[in-house]
Amino acid sequence: MLTARERERYDRQIMIQGFGEEGQERLKKARVLIAGAGGLGSPAAVYLTAAGIGSIRIVDHDTVELSNLNRQILHWHEDRGKSKVDSAKEKLMRLNPDVKIEAIGDTITEANLDHLVSDCNLIVDAMDNLPTRYLLNKVAIENNIPFFHGAVYGFEGRAMTIVPGKSACLRCVYRGVIPEEKFPVIGVTPAVIGCIQATEAVKYLVGVGELLINKLLIYDGLSMQFTELRVKKDPHCEHCGQATRKE
Amino acid sequence: MSITVNIHQALRHITNNQATVNVSGATVGECLADLVQRFPDIKSKLFDKKGKLLNYIDIYVNAESSYPEELAKPVKDGDKLSITLMIAGG
Repeated sequence: MLTARERERYDRQIMIQGFGEEGQERLKKARVLIAGAGGLGSPAAVYLTAAGIGSIRIVDHDTVELSNLNRQILHWHEDRGKSKVDSAKEKLMRLNPDVKIEAIGDTITEANLDHLVSDCNLIVDAMDNLPTRYLLNKVAIENNIPFFHGAVYGFEGRAMTIVPGKSACLRCVYRGVIPEEKFPVIGVTPAVIGCIQATEAVKYLVGVGELLINKLLIYDGLSMQFTELRVKKDPHCEHCGQATRKE
Repeated sequence: MSITVNIHQALRHITNNQATVNVSGATVGECLADLVQRFPDIKSKLFDKKGKLLNYIDIYVNAESSYPEELAKPVKDGDKLSITLMIAGG
């Protein structure tokens, strides 16, 4: 049941056709893992918190550096040197004290992944490297947890929603690896993509609209164009092509 | 036969900042060979030393993934190829 304060806080979104109090209650019951508290994790966390997700677990091992502040909008000038997840938790709790925020300042590895995703309804991929994205994709497939991918480079961003058993996964689309290196980016790019990831997550939880499944959405900020590329489930995919999912 | 190739942002410095280049060919491989002939520096960005497409490059034909055996995929007049690179920034 929503409280009177929640009904007032979420009044404008409850008004949306197909949303209603039932949709808001679904958000309230949801437990979301946000992997990464950086450029993508910041806007995704802000809008999921504002939307009234019941519980958010945010994971990142980094501390805030000056060079993060052009894009990682959860962290402010005075937060330099602080743990990113502590900085994030403080802002998110001030934004919406009704949301439970769990901050985990750890590196995501194969060893701790099962624990990190345990009891989560969905995973937001806000990482900055492919190996960890692949780990998250695999654990999402294995545990039937929807996975909301986003990535950025310069003025370009991409988003894709993976629903295990129903859609192509990240590994169907990306097969190789690229070297981990410092990448160029302007803050508005992860702002756009992080908000798209949050939109997809809200739609999934509420059960409205169409998801970006079997579609890789490409945002080109320079030409201000969105392009949808159609992707296919790879029957030989090493993550979703085998019988690795728990039915 | 004219095929339009969309060039990824990260490769446009090789194509004189052109976002699209018109090429000829009956397959994706022939179109990319024509592109390489016009802009030789793009070859090492797309192919390994054995001439295999690098595993972080994806080719879409009319917005549809051409994986697997991308280079053998037939194309027709008016088709649009998109060269995309994996990105992982967050």
